[in-house]
Amino acid sequence: MQGVDSCKIVIEGLSKRFDDVLAVENIDLTITAGDFVSIVGPSGCGKSTLLYMLGGFISPTAGRLLADGKTIVKPGIDRGIVFQDYALFPWLTVEQNIAYGLQMKKSSRDEIKETVARYISVIGLGGFEKRYPRELSGGMRQRVALARTFAYGPDILLLDEPFGALDSQTREIMQDELLRLWRTTNKTIVMVTHDVGEAVYLSTKVCVMSKRPGRIIETYTIALQHTESREAVVLSPQYTDVRNKVWLSVRRQVLAAAG
Amino acid sequence: MREVAHRIAPAMGRAFVAVYPLVLVIVVWEAVARAGLIRPLFLPPFSLVVKQLFAVVSNGELFPPLATSLYRTAAGLLIAGVVGIPVGFLMVRSRLVSWFFEPLVALGNPAPKLALIPVFTLWFGIDNVSKIMLVALTTVFPFILSAAQGARSVPISQVWAARAMGSTEFVILGRVVLPASMPALMSGLRVAVPTALLTTFTAEMVAGGGLGGALVLAQRYFESTTVYAYLLVMLLCGYILDVELLRIRHRVLRWHEG
Amino acid sequence: MSKGLQETLFGAAARLTPILICLALWQAVTSLHVADPEFLPSVGAVLEAFYDLAKEKTIFVELGVSLLTAGAGLVSGILIGVPLGAVMALSKGADGFFGPLIKATYSLPKSALIPLFVLWFGVGGITNVLATVLTTLLPIVIYTYHGVQGVPRVFVWSAQAMGTPPATLLRRIILPAALPAILTGVRIALGFAFIVTIAAEMIVSNHGIGKLIFLYGDSGAYNYMFAAVITIVSTAFVADWLLQLATAHILRWQDKAEQHA
Repeated sequence: MQGVDSCKIVIEGLSKRFDDVLAVENIDLTITAGDFVSIVGPSGCGKSTLLYMLGGFISPTAGRLLADGKTIVKPGIDRGIVFQDYALFPWLTVEQNIAYGLQMKKSSRDEIKETVARYISVIGLGGFEKRYPRELSGGMRQRVALARTFAYGPDILLLDEPFGALDSQTREIMQDELLRLWRTTNKTIVMVTHDVGEAVYLSTKVCVMSKRPGRIIETYTIALQHTESREAVVLSPQYTDVRNKVWLSVRRQVLAAAG
Repeated sequence: MREVAHRIAPAMGRAFVAVYPLVLVIVVWEAVARAGLIRPLFLPPFSLVVKQLFAVVSNGELFPPLATSLYRTAAGLLIAGVVGIPVGFLMVRSRLVSWFFEPLVALGNPAPKLALIPVFTLWFGIDNVSKIMLVALTTVFPFILSAAQGARSVPISQVWAARAMGSTEFVILGRVVLPASMPALMSGLRVAVPTALLTTFTAEMVAGGGLGGALVLAQRYFESTTVYAYLLVMLLCGYILDVELLRIRHRVLRWHEG
Repeated sequence: MSKGLQETLFGAAARLTPILICLALWQAVTSLHVADPEFLPSVGAVLEAFYDLAKEKTIFVELGVSLLTAGAGLVSGILIGVPLGAVMALSKGADGFFGPLIKATYSLPKSALIPLFVLWFGVGGITNVLATVLTTLLPIVIYTYHGVQGVPRVFVWSAQAMGTPPATLLRRIILPAALPAILTGVRIALGFAFIVTIAAEMIVSNHGIGKLIFLYGDSGAYNYMFAAVITIVSTAFVADWLLQLATAHILRWQDKAEQHA
């Protein structure tokens, strides 16, 4: 059993109340470095709230959050975030967007140029460097958003339903791209998603949150081998088995929330 | 007793917070003026201004010019509305009307219509008509623009339904376009009314008459308290009209969804 | 001639025609003596006056003065109003203090302050500029306020997650995001600047096109008066058009769907 100090992220007794609504209640969760953790649950269960607290954008009402052993109080350069609508800065071009984090880090001009060029080719948007976000499709914007966050190298990546606005085919392509980026950079990822299948496909660990007030009621460790093709994984019985279990878990919460 | 206090206290607190900068300004004004830091010609004490305000109200000095200004404003607005709203609607419904008026509106809208004060004075004399015409010309633009915006917002399905039931264009305008355009028209009114007041007062300051003319006269005779008093009246005019407008807007839009 | 050019020229001609029709009507009315030439000088007489004024350079000098006044007023309004609006949107305290003051003076037509300024400063140019500044402040502050308030929090959060310090956040994220609203306020302020400048010049008659208009009107030189009026009206139109061009370029990154009519 790993000690608490070697965990990348530690959440203890976390609660959040907004006025008279208790969004999140008593969450305990540890995440090791290099993990890909997905949080799933019914709408309104507080999973995004949890993510925003990890990001330091909202402060908890009770409990604590630690990243690398230090308490999270405000946003920081060690935790990158990608929002559902990408939040690309519309007045900046693609390459200016990707360069932004590096500029905040005060990297040298050459390093910025080189990194940006590298990521542009990684996401396959060569030729679009000087375009504005309004000229890009949803999938392209998503890629720029991911590139922007990966480029300046935060250890922890927080993803808030990053593929929610994409059509299913683009979504599948982007999922594999994300997997590739994760494997080559070894970041710790915490992702919030509605899509159970996506969560099981991508993650090493899936946490199911109850209906509001959200608590983590089940955690599944996923041991899928991604060395095979997507088709092989998705059609495999191991995947299907876990996916069904998780789906049922979430389903029960959805029904409980509605009932 | 305590319960009453509990309920009044937050309301009073809110009222205080909403008003304290004004109170502060008035207090500082009064103090600075009384202390003689600024010559009374430039800044008479606020209390004296209020006194003068009551004086011009009670001795009847205020009402003729005020009534004149308000009459001119109202008449001008009425004409502008009667002309502008149909034009705005027609600009959306008819390509010919749109073709003819669009350049005129594009040219006229940013133009400072106030520059025409002497022209209108030439044409219509120094009395009411010239001011009314100027107000009408100036405010016709917000009416046209907001009417056009309102007409554009009408869901085409409603127009088709009306036409399918055999309604003439006139009926469509009156019973489909007009109600649907109410929110836009209310917004246009919110722009047109202060603009109308401004135009009236300014035209009067240049060409005489009404409250604007009275203001300039007071300045020429160095009657500072009167100048400030008239300014207060103008401020109150604008404020009351705005509040009334908001109330009308509320009533009118209550029947309106979204 | 290329098709595109043809279309543009045709479009321009189509837009100009109603104006030409009005001009023709004007000429017809005067030529046919439907209107007393006292009240409506013919197009020719006005053009003559134009030529005269241009020859003496009068028109250019006074136009320059008016433009300088309006411009100075507008620029000052922006330099004061944008930071003020931004601070009000970002600080509850500032909003609590300035908000009521702005709401209170909102209903006062700022041109009414001109006589007051004459009391204070006499008939120097400062009166005109000050009245213009106060008039342009209002729309700029209000639009900046709403622009800054309306910046989506995901922009701010994304920037903060990338390590943006507060001053940089304001400069590189909040202001650019609020720029469309701010520029709308500037456009409105530009219109106000012209109006108040002319009004002041007519009331105080110190200098500028407003003074020309007023004096010519007073002395009966109506064709000169018309010439001056047309000058300032066209200038205001051109200024507005130029601002729109500049805005379109500055905001070229904007999603067309988000743009207002």
